[in-house]
Amino acid sequence: MDKQLEKLISLHDLDVMIADLNRKEIRDKEADMGLKTEGALEELKELREAYTKSIARKWRGLYSQLTRHYGNAVVPALMGRCTGCLTRLPTAVCSDPERNSRVHTCPTCGRIIYWAD
Amino acid sequence: MESGNRIDAIEELLGILPIGEKTVSLLSGALEVREQVGATVVHRGIALPHCRSILVDKLAIAVGRSEKGIQWPDEKVNTIILFISPVKPNGPEEHSAFLSHIASCIRKSGDELVSAGSGDELFELLNFEPAKLED
Repeated sequence: MDKQLEKLISLHDLDVMIADLNRKEIRDKEADMGLKTEGALEELKELREAYTKSIARKWRGLYSQLTRHYGNAVVPALMGRCTGCLTRLPTAVCSDPERNSRVHTCPTCGRIIYWAD
Repeated sequence: MESGNRIDAIEELLGILPIGEKTVSLLSGALEVREQVGATVVHRGIALPHCRSILVDKLAIAVGRSEKGIQWPDEKVNTIILFISPVKPNGPEEHSAFLSHIASCIRKSGDELVSAGSGDELFELLNFEPAKLED
């Protein structure tokens, strides 16, 4: 898998983690189970900032733009479709065994696409 | 479980899920980040590594027991309940509901979970039905 694609997926999961800890409902549940929530959010944000710097400016910019627009920048392809907008993706790309070896975007919504292994 | 440390234990449990090697590696990274900002020990002897990820399309759970115990990192745990919830458009409802379920099981039978003698007993206490993994 392309290293930049790996980093974009990880950044997305990190953003989900931050969003979850920002939700009072989740934070309360985790705190109720004895998990550390105080300070965790700030630490995650710091980690995110450092991690983002390791992503190429081009992809970092696209990621931010897509997140602002859709709320999610990276989506899996499923049954030949972008799961963000359900557009059918080009067959040549979907059938390529090396399809994750570069960053692909959906031709319709522009979201970053990956194929689960 | 065979693993002697947290990182290996997370990878060992991810390894029993029907997911590819690259997904294991990315999920392991995400779970380790969560552990770094706060270890997920939820009861004496029980760790609950968890996250939500776009890398799974349905709730994935793996439960492991370590006879010798695993340092996590300040205390030893011998029961590990790992779960990853999918990222869905309707938000973290499934994740939140599962957290509540686990919290309730631990409140009700935390000590029994630690001392459970078999996988079946553990699954019964957690109110899980073991899934048959596809080949």
